[in-house]
Amino acid sequence: MTMHLLAKSDVPRFLSALSGRFEMYGPQVHPESGDVFFDLAADGSRIRLDAPIPVNSPKFAVFPHWERILSYAYDRENKEVKIIPEDLVRPKALVGVRACDLTGLLCFDRFFLGQEFVDEFYRAHRRKIFIVSVTCTAPFPQCFCVCTDSGPYAAEGYDVNLTDLGESYLLEPGSEAGRALAAELGLAEAGPDAARRRDEAVDRSISLFEAKAVENKAWISRAVNRLTTGFVKNETWEYIGKQCFECGACSFVCPSCSCFNIEDVNRQSGGTDRLRTWDSCSFEGYARMAGEHNPRRPVEDRRNKRFFCKLSYSQSKKYLRPGCVGCGRCVRVCPGDIGMTNVVTAIRRDITG
Amino acid sequence: MSYQTGVCNFCGTGCGHLMQVENGAVRGVFPSSTHPVGRGRLCVRGWHIHELLNTEERISRPQLRTDGALIPVFWDRALDEVALRLAGFSGGEIGFWASPRSSNEDIYSMVRLARAVFRSPNISLQSDAWYRSTVEVLREGSGRPGAYGSISDIRNADFILVVGTDLTRQNPIIASDIHFAARRGADVVTLSTRKTQMSRLSGTHLQNRPGTKKMVLAALAKVLLEADRGGASSAAVSIEGSDAFLKEMEGVNLDRIEQDCGLPLPTLRETALRLKAAPKAVFVFSTGISGLNRETVALIWNLFLVAGKAGRDGCAILPATGVSNLAGANDCGAGPGVLPGSGPLPDEAAAARFKGLWGAEAEIGPGRPVEDLLADASSKIKALVVCDHDPEINLYADRLKSLEYVVYLGSYANPFTDLAQAVLPTTTFVEADGTYTNTERRIQLNRRKVDPRFESRPAWEIFSALAARRGAFWPFRSSADVQEEITRAVPAYAGATHAALEAAFGGIQWPLGAERPFGPFRFVEAGLVSGPAPAGDEFPLRLMAGKSYYYWHQNNIMKKTFIPRREYNALLLLYPQGLVDVHPDDAAALGLRDKRPVRVVSARGAMTPLVRVTDEVPPGTVYAPYFVGAMIPDFLVPHAGAVERGEDAVIPVRLEKV
Repeated sequence: MTMHLLAKSDVPRFLSALSGRFEMYGPQVHPESGDVFFDLAADGSRIRLDAPIPVNSPKFAVFPHWERILSYAYDRENKEVKIIPEDLVRPKALVGVRACDLTGLLCFDRFFLGQEFVDEFYRAHRRKIFIVSVTCTAPFPQCFCVCTDSGPYAAEGYDVNLTDLGESYLLEPGSEAGRALAAELGLAEAGPDAARRRDEAVDRSISLFEAKAVENKAWISRAVNRLTTGFVKNETWEYIGKQCFECGACSFVCPSCSCFNIEDVNRQSGGTDRLRTWDSCSFEGYARMAGEHNPRRPVEDRRNKRFFCKLSYSQSKKYLRPGCVGCGRCVRVCPGDIGMTNVVTAIRRDITG
Repeated sequence: MSYQTGVCNFCGTGCGHLMQVENGAVRGVFPSSTHPVGRGRLCVRGWHIHELLNTEERISRPQLRTDGALIPVFWDRALDEVALRLAGFSGGEIGFWASPRSSNEDIYSMVRLARAVFRSPNISLQSDAWYRSTVEVLREGSGRPGAYGSISDIRNADFILVVGTDLTRQNPIIASDIHFAARRGADVVTLSTRKTQMSRLSGTHLQNRPGTKKMVLAALAKVLLEADRGGASSAAVSIEGSDAFLKEMEGVNLDRIEQDCGLPLPTLRETALRLKAAPKAVFVFSTGISGLNRETVALIWNLFLVAGKAGRDGCAILPATGVSNLAGANDCGAGPGVLPGSGPLPDEAAAARFKGLWGAEAEIGPGRPVEDLLADASSKIKALVVCDHDPEINLYADRLKSLEYVVYLGSYANPFTDLAQAVLPTTTFVEADGTYTNTERRIQLNRRKVDPRFESRPAWEIFSALAARRGAFWPFRSSADVQEEITRAVPAYAGATHAALEAAFGGIQWPLGAERPFGPFRFVEAGLVSGPAPAGDEFPLRLMAGKSYYYWHQNNIMKKTFIPRREYNALLLLYPQGLVDVHPDDAAALGLRDKRPVRVVSARGAMTPLVRVTDEVPPGTVYAPYFVGAMIPDFLVPHAGAVERGEDAVIPVRLEKV
């Protein structure tokens, strides 16, 4: 597809074109705490394409933390149930999505849409999403997307991808909608050296990982192998499980964790809401079945479930890529210090001693 | 931005979070990566606080009991009635039961209402007995009624002593800090009878026999005294109160320690010397429902002094508070023996301050705890004002039913309303501005983020309206006004106005303003240390009662969430009658099997929970996490004092196969 140049001075025009037809989401710096959040923006001016990696992944835009998926009312007299579907999904533009987070969304697509059962609530969000991804030109200390094949450059899944070339962004349309937007804005076509300059920026970014993605991260592919072939020792899982505080944070911040819970809540004002909320496999009640059976009762079994999910079955075995996207958020939020990189280190030590 | 900063309202750690607010409702929560306490972490409770805030199980409207039933009424009608009825009692006949989850503004207003309007000194904080004695020990020992040092001292500590309850359950993020410290090489020692996650994450687990915590602490202190003997630098002797302390220590017989506590003397000696050698030491212990008694806390403080840690940079003593504003409630005078910011009553300086602030008629003398008044059949308590009660240990149900007038204020549906003649709905911490003080004296402001749900109002506003109906017109138009008065009423809070707190992300630690620093340090009387009564033939096992993970405040709050409730139910469904932990050796000897009922018999009562066979308890010990309500009235209540004694309580029992 034709590539274009988006002058940095033209970014506001680019964003306002989007804000005319979408609710805008993007990285913003919280004025009080300084945290970077990927969040709804009243307009494009708050969005910072150069902000550090947000503390939350953009998954909440298609998979909200808390969502009413339908409501119903029971008419006692006539013994009738009236179901009211939710149709409030508005079109959203996700601007400044990093390659890792975009890879997470693609995992979501495969999970929610790619199997026998298609999740209509997810689909309602997903169909109305316009994605502007950005190439990561500087990795952060916890990042390891180069080890999970999910960055720093997004190969697919975007409507438009931006790569910082200094005075301007290289704009690559990835869909018909993206191409139309570029045409509408009348952006200049990028010259013949644009692809080379983009590749140089990506290579430079990758080279910066060398100092950061040291030993443990480089062992991710080995960890995938050991997990998939069942060679991780029980003692290793116990060592990791012992440190788990069972808070669920790793799942909640993970761009590819899609587990959810369903609750029906009776409103005081009448009627019932059916809610979908985030859940985590680290909880004991998550895997409990009828008749008191729980295949994953000990904490180490629940812990390793997550790492099997991220590095072995579901994603790896079915889709030939890890479920972990290398964003490193679990490292930052874990009270037990057993984020992905430390788990990989534990698996490495179990082999190398 | 839809994410707004705030402070988690569950335990007293005070982690910073950001609430996702959309269309006037809370829709999610995230930890703040920059907050000085949480630093990017929340626990399982904190990650689900938005579920609680969205619950439909709220008290929605003011209600008055008419012909036996609670009938919704307009606010004015409810306030008129409550003010009039309460005015019919003398001050001594009304008890005020404050909540450690209320904001400082709400607590302070309740204290002012009690003392200045209804002239009752009978104010207490639910389940605060342990904390109240803890802060008194710290006040005597360090000059300040609160934590000595900060949570952040854990990060740089060389030696960390954790005493009692499993911190990974009660204050998970403080436990997380300790875990990180252990991983970078800090010497972490846990003193607890049970194996817990905290003990497993510690380098040293001192697994004492039940009821001997005090002895172990005394032994550690004695080892240090002996090690110091003859040295010219016997610093401890020069500290005030050392005479009594040395006398207490004389009674400690180190030769009997192993026999009494089950811990080898060399282990204790080595631990004590490591503590002595560590430049930076932090002690952490739990307060709240499974807290430590006064004597045990006094020994913890005295050990800190003997080890030479008081006044040293980077050393700290942290009484980890189990509820969000337990510390602040105490600072703001929610106790019968104190005024806001005062020392133990009578306190002349405080008396003068409050005569000025509240008027000459205010009752500024000491009162009695509401629990005592309810337990004492001869007390003349007739009316009760209760805020946000946790029905965790409803020891007084019969007496409560016999009271003439009970007013209940709260946000969430609660069985306590069955006992009330008037019910008034209050806002939650996201529906009104309010300040909260954490374990380490950090005052933080929670801003109103959404409109009050249903017809709820902030408690300070309700108290203010009741005062006005009794002719007392308070100068409060907002909670910021109340906080402004607190900064004058509580000297350590000087300057902690809403404006100042808003400007300081992460809050401000008291003491502020012209307040003097900690000290002078002195030993606190701990009493003579004796071993536990020997187990007899009739009741050969020792039962300890404690709390389990999701059983937080009788679960009245947790039951209104989704995920924590489910986790609680998973445990409850496995052990619907409750459970007792029994060591595999004891189980084998008695022929007990896992998940089978067992009859637990003591001199005073009996119950039939299910057995959980686990080596988390040592042989000879039975642990009962009280997550099933019936265990409390059926078994624990007859053991008067066992519940109050918290972790140190031991009940001799025998187990009978059913």
